[in-house]
Amino acid sequence: MMIGLLGLFIKLSLFSLIAFGGVNALLPTLYDISVNQEGWIDPQTFIHYFAIAQAAPGPNLLTVTLIGWNAFGLAGALLATLAVCWPSCILIFYLQQVIAKLQHLQWKKTIEYSASALAVGLVLASAWQIAIRINGNWAAYALTIFSILFVLLSKRHPLYLIGLGAILGFFGFI
Amino acid sequence: MRLSPARLFITFTFIGLSGFGGVLPWARRALVEQKQWLSSQEFNALLGVCQLVPGPNIVNLAVCVGERFGGVRGAFAAVGGLMLAPMTVVILLALLYDHYGEFERVQGILRGISSVGVGLIAATGFKMLKDELTYPPMLIVIAISIVIATIYQLALGWVVAITLPLALLVAWRKAR
Repeated sequence: MMIGLLGLFIKLSLFSLIAFGGVNALLPTLYDISVNQEGWIDPQTFIHYFAIAQAAPGPNLLTVTLIGWNAFGLAGALLATLAVCWPSCILIFYLQQVIAKLQHLQWKKTIEYSASALAVGLVLASAWQIAIRINGNWAAYALTIFSILFVLLSKRHPLYLIGLGAILGFFGFI
Repeated sequence: MRLSPARLFITFTFIGLSGFGGVLPWARRALVEQKQWLSSQEFNALLGVCQLVPGPNIVNLAVCVGERFGGVRGAFAAVGGLMLAPMTVVILLALLYDHYGEFERVQGILRGISSVGVGLIAATGFKMLKDELTYPPMLIVIAISIVIATIYQLALGWVVAITLPLALLVAWRKAR
């Protein structure tokens, strides 16, 4: 148990260190680590926990909390959450001070622009890979595409979409 | 302006609990529009810096805002506020899932929500893409990273290693 918890903490800390663009941008990597490499969770539960984390209020990283919960209970949930947060918390704490002092404007902008471009690529690639894993039929893809258009074209709250997804799923369309 | 850790904790608890389908819009609403602790420009600049480091951006933002208004204790208070209540909620939902997750209807609901969830991620990507349209050459960098990650399915380290030199070059010209 202790060894397992330590492994969870270290693996997820390393995952956090490569998670440019946030946790969802690297969801396929998280899936690979927790399902294929470590066996903390089975594929179906992973997808269900992703859905629970989306439906609940709070940051997207709650998927990680639930993976820890599934493997090691409450201690696992707390340690997994801590693991995914602490590396970036320390990095940003110091980086914020360094960037504030950075004088050369072009370098500062170059760093910001390239980071944001990479983040866009990673988020879109991740959405694509996750869609292939979780969408089982054409109706699921249609719902995904509708969700994208809804968010981009409408000002309404995404909670409506989550409700719609729940209803369609309840009646067996997805 | 200085704020007490308690105030930061409470404000970020509300931000965390209202964040259905992504916390960032709610953080902007609370910090910029309601509390007016930050101007719109300050918020964007801060978020830009938060996206430079790996890890959850919203947590990074809580660290920055907490530190700015309350020092190290403020940073801890903001992150704690953001995380504690949502973690409790999601674990309660997981307990319910343990009891009712076997039912086909429940599985259907979760399948439906995850199809929406992946759409929300993609939509965030497209919104971020819109900001990149101001300098179209950057789209080449983005396209290459997507192709490497999805079609060739290379590990993330490779995606960054291959794309970064070009990204830096294009960004250097954009910044000029």
